[in-house]
Parts: sequence; C-alpha cells; structure tokens
Amino acid sequence: MRLGVDAVGVTELMGVTEHARAMSTVAGALGLDGEGQPLVRPVDPAAADASAGPMLSEIQEWHRAATGKLDVPVLWRILARNPYYLEATWRKEQALMGDGALSARDKRRTALGVAMAVRGRYMIEQHGAILRHAGDIDADVLEVLGVVDHYTTLNTLSDAMQIESDIRPG
Amino acid sequence: MTTIPLPDPASAIGKVREIFDAVLARERRVFGATSVSNIWRCMGHSPALLEANWNRSRALMQRGRFTPLQRELIATAVSAANSCHY
Repeated sequence: MRLGVDAVGVTELMGVTEHARAMSTVAGALGLDGEGQPLVRPVDPAAADASAGPMLSEIQEWHRAATGKLDVPVLWRILARNPYYLEATWRKEQALMGDGALSARDKRRTALGVAMAVRGRYMIEQHGAILRHAGDIDADVLEVLGVVDHYTTLNTLSDAMQIESDIRPG
Repeated sequence: MTTIPLPDPASAIGKVREIFDAVLARERRVFGATSVSNIWRCMGHSPALLEANWNRSRALMQRGRFTPLQRELIATAVSAANSCHY
C-alpha cells in the first residue's frame, strides 16, 4: 500500500470497497440491473408499517438531499421486507459513506469505480446520480472509468503472468 | 513462479529500455522504488504491449482533474474488488 493515507484511511477505503461490491451483488441478485420484475417485491413507503416506515422516510430525505429526487430507491424498498436487514444495511451505508479520513465525494467516486469494475448497472446509476448532484461532470465520470479500465488491465496481466508483489508498504 | 521469466531491466535495449527508464523515474518519485516494478517488467518481452500500456498509464493516471491520491484510491479499490493481490 502506497497511498499516502494512514491506517484509518486505508480501513475506510477497504470498507467502502467491500460495501460497494456487496451492494452491487445485492442489486444484481434482486434483478435490479435488468428490465424485468425484481426478485422480491418492493414495499410501498406510504403503506409501510412502523417497523420500516420511519427508516424509509429517513432514506427518502437522504436521497432527496443527495440526488434531488423524491422517491425512495427501489433497493431500499425491497430490503424493507426485512426491517432488520434494512436497518443494518442503511446504518452501515451512513457510517461508511460520509466524511471521515476520506471525503464523502472521494468515497462515492471509489464506490462508483467498484460498481463499474463488477459491472453493476443499478449501483453505477445510483452512485452516478449522487456524484452528478454533487457537481461531477462527464470528465470526472470518465476519469473514474479510466482508472477502472487501466487497473483491470494491470490486474489481468499480474494474475496471468503470476508475478509476485514487489511494492512494499511505505 | 512467474508464467514466463521477467526480462532484466539492466539488459533491456531500444524502446523497452526507454520505457523502463521512464517507469523507474516515475516509481522512484512516487514511492521510492529502486527497480522497475514487476507489473511493468512482465510486459517487457513485447515492446508494443509495454508501450501501449505505458501510454495509457500516463493518459489515465497522470493527467486529468483528480489528484494522484484520488486516482490511487479508486485503483486500490478496483484491485481489491478484482481480488488482485499484486
């Protein structure tokens, strides 16, 4: 690791990475990357009971501030079928993706890169909408993609050539 | 054990030598490297591959609107997501 960030920053980065990868897996598994019906029916926020309703309202408020859109994203509405799953995942999203040792915007760009790397269409759109609302332009999105593209190249080569790591911490 | 023997940068000539020198100069500046890293050495048997990827590295990792740290964060996350330990 030669990032120039401390152990807290590296841990935050890895948290964002695993969270972004997991969310892309969840979205894909639910069928949100395609055009068909999702695997699990979303909860209607207006009809949600007390176990999920307040949290969906909280998510709606966050989504409005983050993207300017008024709806509750369908992924969260599906997780609301299990309020424990919804709460634990939403609290993790909040804990990991806000400002910390790394800025919220850098984390979101990183999450977009992970979603691109695993080709998770739904989460690419979600991260992209948040970054656009924060002011990112086409050049910024393409810069994220360029890094994803180049490192997918280098990852493929290093695996195929079976080279040993010679980049030491420091 | 690598798939093929990695070329020795000291005996490289021509275009490969030129790019290895540029890679080492950059890696020395960025993270104090003392020799060309294996990821670049492993391309050295094909000058065309080495040159194409070095040009892409310069275009994508050394130019743009982001800071070097911002690009490195994304690169590290992508490598982790791709399960690449290098």
